[in-house]
Amino acid sequence: MLNKLSPLLKSALADFRRDKVRTALTSLGIMIGVMSVVMLIALGLGLKNYISGQFENLGANLVMILPGSGFTGEGGGSFGGQGLVGGAEFDEKDIRDLRKVEGLEYVVPLVFKSGLIQGEKDEKVASIMGVNEDYFELMNSKILSGVIFDKTDVSNNAKVAVLGYSLAEEIFEKANEAVGKSVRTQGIRLKVIGVIEKTGDREQDSAVIMPYSTTFGSINPQKTFWSIYLGVPSEEEVESVSSEAEKVLLKRYEEDDFAITEQAEILTTVNQIFGMINLVLVAIGSISLLVGGVGIMNIMYATVTERTKEIGIRRAVGARRSDILTQFLTESLVLSLFGGLAGLLLSAALVALIRIWFPVAMNLTAVIVAFGVSSAIGIFFGVFPAKKAAALSPIEAIRYE
Amino acid sequence: MNSSIIELKDIYKSWMIGDEEEFVALKGVNLSIKQGEFSAITGPSGSGKSTLMHVIGLLDKPTSGEVVIDNKNILSLDDDETSTLRSEFVGFVFQQFNLLNKLTVQENILLPTTYARKKFAYNPLERAEYLMDRFGILSKRSSYPNKISGGQQQRVAIARSLIMNPRLILADEPTGNLDTKTGDEIMKLFQELNETEKITIVLVTHEPDIAKKTRRSIHVLDGMVTTT
Repeated sequence: MLNKLSPLLKSALADFRRDKVRTALTSLGIMIGVMSVVMLIALGLGLKNYISGQFENLGANLVMILPGSGFTGEGGGSFGGQGLVGGAEFDEKDIRDLRKVEGLEYVVPLVFKSGLIQGEKDEKVASIMGVNEDYFELMNSKILSGVIFDKTDVSNNAKVAVLGYSLAEEIFEKANEAVGKSVRTQGIRLKVIGVIEKTGDREQDSAVIMPYSTTFGSINPQKTFWSIYLGVPSEEEVESVSSEAEKVLLKRYEEDDFAITEQAEILTTVNQIFGMINLVLVAIGSISLLVGGVGIMNIMYATVTERTKEIGIRRAVGARRSDILTQFLTESLVLSLFGGLAGLLLSAALVALIRIWFPVAMNLTAVIVAFGVSSAIGIFFGVFPAKKAAALSPIEAIRYE
Repeated sequence: MNSSIIELKDIYKSWMIGDEEEFVALKGVNLSIKQGEFSAITGPSGSGKSTLMHVIGLLDKPTSGEVVIDNKNILSLDDDETSTLRSEFVGFVFQQFNLLNKLTVQENILLPTTYARKKFAYNPLERAEYLMDRFGILSKRSSYPNKISGGQQQRVAIARSLIMNPRLILADEPTGNLDTKTGDEIMKLFQELNETEKITIVLVTHEPDIAKKTRRSIHVLDGMVTTT
C-alpha cells in the first residue's frame, strides 16, 4: 500500500508545483473555510469568557439586604445608592444580629456615598465605600499592590484606604505607586495601603474603600449602613440563609422596610443568557461552515470539471476509472489537509494575537469539526466530479468543453 | 496472408439528440484490420469516420455489434479490462495532440506506462529516450508541450502512442493542425514506422493527399463503409 501510495503522493505534489495557481486557490478556499469557523467560534467564546468574567466578579453566593423594597420597589433607587429613601436604617446592631445566623460566611456592612477624592496628581468625584475586612473576600477582589485592611483596622477606625484601579490611576501618577501616599475626602486624610486589580466593574474600580468605622465621623455621622451584604459558602444555602436573615431582621423592622436580593437570581438569568450565547455560537459556526463549505465545493468542483479533458486523455492512454479516482482522491486529500492545517495555524496565530486584548479561545470541538467537515467537503467535491468524468467514455471526456 | 488484429462485425452506433431524435453514426459496419497494414479511413466530415476510429480504438462502445480481438468479443469486457486492453493494444495520435501541458515531454511520453499492468520486457525510460532521439525531440525532453512547436508536439504524441509497444496505432487527423511541410514530415514518420517496424497504422483523414500515402483506403459515407 505504502509503496503504491508514495508515487501517487509524489505525482500529486509534482502536479501542485506545476499548477501553482489552482493549488493556491483550492487550498486557500479550504484554509478560509477552516479559519472562518475556528475564528468565529473563538470570537464567540471570547465574548462568552468576557461576559462570564464580568459576572464572576459579582460573586454568585451573595445576598444583598437593602432598605425599602430593594431593586424592584418604588424609590428603591439604582445600585448607585443615592436615591434610597425610607425604609430601615441598618446599624451595627443588625450586623451583630445577622452574625448569629447559621451558615453565613461573611456579613459585610456597606456605607456608600459619592464625593470628591483628592490624590497627589488629581482629584475626582468617585464612590466612597465603608466596609469591613470581609468585603474583599466576598467580592473576589485581588490585590494589585500593597495590602487590604484587616479586622484591627476596622475596630481602630484606622484612617486607611484601598483604592480601585481606575481611581488610583487617575489621581496618582501610576496606579501601583499610590500605596504609601494619602488621599483626602470629606475633610479626612486617609493613608493608601493598597490598590486592587481592575475588575471591570466601574463602581468598584473607581471607589475609595475604607473601614466602615472610619466613616463614622464626617462622612456618616448617623452611623447607619446603606446596605448589608451576606456571603454564603455555597449556592445551595443561599435560599435558607436568606430566609433566616429575614427572620432576624423582622424582629426589628417591618416587612416593607427592607428587601433581600439574591445574586443567584441574577445568575440564573445570566445562565439563560449563556445558554442562548451557546446556541448562537453553534448557529454562527454552522453558517460559517456552510459558507466555507460552499466555497470549497465551488473551487473543487470547478477545478476538477475543468480537468475533464485531462481525465479523458489519461483514460485514452490506459488509465482505469480507479486510477483516476485514486489520483483525484490523493490530490484532494493533500490539498484539504494542507489547506486545513494552514487555516488552523493561521487561526492559532490570530487567536494568540487577539488574546492580548480580548479573551478569545480555540475550541477543540470547533477545530475538529471545522477541519473534518472542510476536508470532507474538499475531498468529496474533489472526487465526485472526477468520478463523473471518469464514468464518461474517454472520447466524451476529451471532447468535453 | 496476414491475420486480423481487430475485426468489427455489424457495428451500429447511435445516440439521442434531445429527447426524440436518434442519430445513427454507424450503420452496420464490417471491417477487418490486418497485421502490418497502413490504412486510411476517409470520408467527408459527419460521415462517421471518427466514430469508427473511436470504436476501433476502444475509446467508445458501439450500440450493437461485435469487436473481436484475438477471437474474443471485447465488448463483453468490463471497464477495467477494456482500459488494460486499451493501454496494451492501441496507441493514439490526435489532431489536437492531447498532451498534458503540466507534464514535460518525457513525462507525457511515459504517461501510459504509469497505468500499465504488465511487466515490461524493456526499460520504459530507455524506450522513451530512444523514441525521443529518433523523432528529434530529445533536446526538448524537459520542456512543456505548450512551449514547443506543433510538429514537435505531434512527435511527442506519436512517441507516447509507441511507448507501450502496441499492436495498433490510431491517428485521428494527425496532420490537421499542422502546416503542409510539417504534415508531410509526420506522414513520412508514419510510413517509416509501418515499413521498417511493421507497425499497423490506421489513420483518419479527409484529405485525399494524405490518404494516397497509405496502402489501403477505407471510405466511409453516411455511417457505412463503401469501399475498402
